[in-house]
Amino acid sequence: MQDRPAIVAVGRTRFGEHYDKQPEKLIEEAWLKASQEADIERRDLEACYLSDYFLPITNKLGLEEGFLSELTQLHVPMEVTRSFSSALSNACNAIQAGKYNVVLVGGIEKMTDRWDKIRDDLMLLEDPWSYYAGGTPEANHELMLRAYIKKYGIRDRDLEKLKIALAQVSVKNHLHALKNEYAQYQRKITVDHVLSARKRAGKPLGLYDFAPISDGASALILTSEDAAKKFTDKPVYILGSASATDYLTFPAREDLTHFLVSETAMKKALKAAGVDLWDIQIVELYDQSTVMEMISLEDLGFCEKGKAWMNIYESCKNYKGYYEIDGKKLFVNMNGGLKADGNPLGATGGAQVFEVVKQLKGEAEERQVKSDKESSYGCVLELEGFGTKGYVYILGRD
Amino acid sequence: MSSEPIERRVSYLGDRLRGKRCLICGKEYFEVRDYCGNCGRKSFGKMDEVDLFYEKGTLEICTLISEPTNKFTKLGCYIYGIVSFHKGKIRVPGRLTDKIIKQGEEIDFSSYEGREVVPRFRRRYSVQRSEIIPTISLAFTFADEFYPHQEYKIVKPNKEYSTPGIVGYGVYTSRFRIREGNIERSVPFIDEDAITAAVEAGKLALIHSGVDSSLVGKIYVGSESNPYAVKPIASKVAQVLRLGEEDEDVQGVDAVDTEFACKAATSMFKDAASLVNYPKSNVAYAMVIGADNSQAAPRDCPGGELDLFVGFGGCAYLLGKHDVIAEIEGWYSCTSDTPDFWRRDGEPYPMHGGRFTGDPAYFKHVRKSAKKLMERLGLQVSDINYFIAHQPNVQFPVKIARELGFKEEQYLPSLQVAKFGNTYSGSSPVGLAAVLDIAKPEERILIASYGSGAGSDAYSLITTSQILDKRPHQKMTVKYQAENPFLEYVNYTTYRRLKLGM
Repeated sequence: MQDRPAIVAVGRTRFGEHYDKQPEKLIEEAWLKASQEADIERRDLEACYLSDYFLPITNKLGLEEGFLSELTQLHVPMEVTRSFSSALSNACNAIQAGKYNVVLVGGIEKMTDRWDKIRDDLMLLEDPWSYYAGGTPEANHELMLRAYIKKYGIRDRDLEKLKIALAQVSVKNHLHALKNEYAQYQRKITVDHVLSARKRAGKPLGLYDFAPISDGASALILTSEDAAKKFTDKPVYILGSASATDYLTFPAREDLTHFLVSETAMKKALKAAGVDLWDIQIVELYDQSTVMEMISLEDLGFCEKGKAWMNIYESCKNYKGYYEIDGKKLFVNMNGGLKADGNPLGATGGAQVFEVVKQLKGEAEERQVKSDKESSYGCVLELEGFGTKGYVYILGRD
Repeated sequence: MSSEPIERRVSYLGDRLRGKRCLICGKEYFEVRDYCGNCGRKSFGKMDEVDLFYEKGTLEICTLISEPTNKFTKLGCYIYGIVSFHKGKIRVPGRLTDKIIKQGEEIDFSSYEGREVVPRFRRRYSVQRSEIIPTISLAFTFADEFYPHQEYKIVKPNKEYSTPGIVGYGVYTSRFRIREGNIERSVPFIDEDAITAAVEAGKLALIHSGVDSSLVGKIYVGSESNPYAVKPIASKVAQVLRLGEEDEDVQGVDAVDTEFACKAATSMFKDAASLVNYPKSNVAYAMVIGADNSQAAPRDCPGGELDLFVGFGGCAYLLGKHDVIAEIEGWYSCTSDTPDFWRRDGEPYPMHGGRFTGDPAYFKHVRKSAKKLMERLGLQVSDINYFIAHQPNVQFPVKIARELGFKEEQYLPSLQVAKFGNTYSGSSPVGLAAVLDIAKPEERILIASYGSGAGSDAYSLITTSQILDKRPHQKMTVKYQAENPFLEYVNYTTYRRLKLGM
């Protein structure tokens, strides 16, 4: 990628329930952390790209740009989109077009303010016909799992293994979150916890298979390659990025067992970055459910279609901190994933990028992974809706 | 929060399950599209209609919903999944209805997946009482259970009769029953009401008759439990069943709701017959539906006596002059201002006059209409093969039949109240359907309905040979629904909950 956009600083809040804070307080917190890291002044910002999935619904709050303008006392161009990745994508485009040199990308969500109605809202936004037919946000994940089991003819002992593998995904993510001060759940769980929650629900997936409802904010400062040097000597570059779209109505999609958007975006992003798949060792996946983490491993190409559960199962028997796939290491969701780190929709992507940036810079402290290669790359997959949009970012230090 | 335009658009597509098929590449879509995504602009004007309303699909995959979204909580636990039509060319989301699943019940999804399902027209979800009632046909039941899949095959009319009469009929009751003593009563599932019953009954009448729905020029729906005080059931029936010629999204049909307690439907038989007989009406067929989720206060409340007898169901009749199965020989109606049963506006349950509902009300009017009609037509009891009276309970119809001189073989076949309960506007029509299900050609049927308030309509019908020809079109006979292995019996608490609806 010519003139690579550079991330010079990242910041975020803890995810969870922030019932005492206004939404704008959360973004303020994330922005301040990022600005301190890069010693950046608000007047350095030439534009802001903000994202929230549905603040206008949860908080009856529109014109979010105005809040940010008041907060920063800036009158620069600001745009709001639905996901952190879409905001980041617009920011990259502007930087690469040479329009701006320094911009703020921020994401925010305040889901717990509408706790009682949020599943109706989410479902209606994500897949209205499924909502009208009685679907829930969780149901699509379960149907995808049913379709997967049927397509690949997984039965008997293999089926038991798959169920355990999915439970292990959750256990592993909780384990990672223990070392993440920003994570919503910093609590160890066991496979039995996951299984008994499923049993209680009488369903293939239970409470511990799903990411929670969260409040939170995240932010990063994106600059042009040249401008980056002013703020840091350790910039992380966006080497390649791509996105794709798919039908809103999940049942209408041709293949119910994978996300077309992830596969498409990954292929394009790899090509743009000029990086080989296995040059990537750090991956932040969009695990709204344990099924999504499994499927995404296949969609991105790390695991063979219909086989990811085997890789997970074998890796987690005696978990060493990474998935081992054909003898190669893959560090997945080191921040705890959406499952344990939290999932404040519009801010989630920011936390994913935050983690990869920290890892690549060697600043992830207790969570820091050791890659096999001298120069390693990180990858972020973020989805909007139930695979209606997919964004992939490939990040690297060089 | 509700939006009338959104409601209109979702119902328009979802009630009928409308879609499109590209004539160039064959790709099919649920929802109406002007062009094919595959073929682009060149497919403009080359999109054929897809209508899944009478089709059967396959439940591909499913899961259990044990914690529904807010609007579905009254459904409790239910099975939800993906249904495919046309060998997977169209896939839609759908829930299984008519199943009571207990919390914690072990479900084997693979025992459901791969089975054939048929769409049911139901309420979509709960809304506030002041809002528009959302409906949808993305609710399904298994084709090998209570509701079989039945093809809607349009049959070209063969013979024109000089006298108008019944050309087809359909009876719709639920799969649920409450059994108390020796009486069984039909109980709606929680997503059913008088509107859904009316539509389903009309669908069955179209299937039975083979009449092209676009030739139906008038629809009357009689009910005393329309969930709306203002808004006709008939308009929903007309739109969902696509009655009359369609012009854009408007149906070329006259639709009206009628109300006269339990005779709201039977009263309209003669109007429908007269209309199709009027040479310049341009109405080839008229449909009359009686449908009720019969209301009754809880047993220990005033008016609660009715709670022992009320049922649920709908019955639809198509009247016309072509391919008639029973000609209308004559009728007699009578009316008096007798306040034996009523429900004030805004009140949820009707009240009744106790003993007063018998002699001065029911018996007086049924007796008069039946006797007067027989007198006019010069009929003796022995000229009549079957007698049907309104059935508010088991005793009344038997008593009046005996008093008029009818023997058991004449009145017993129509006596359905012990199987379905009093279906109010559908009560005597269901009795008539039970008789038509078994009658031979050239038999005479006398029906005397009763509506509180009060009045009675008596009709004399003579069956034709076509009654036998059309019989194989209908699997959902009265007997089939009364003696079905898939009936599910519920207790009093569940019955009240289901009846109250979502």
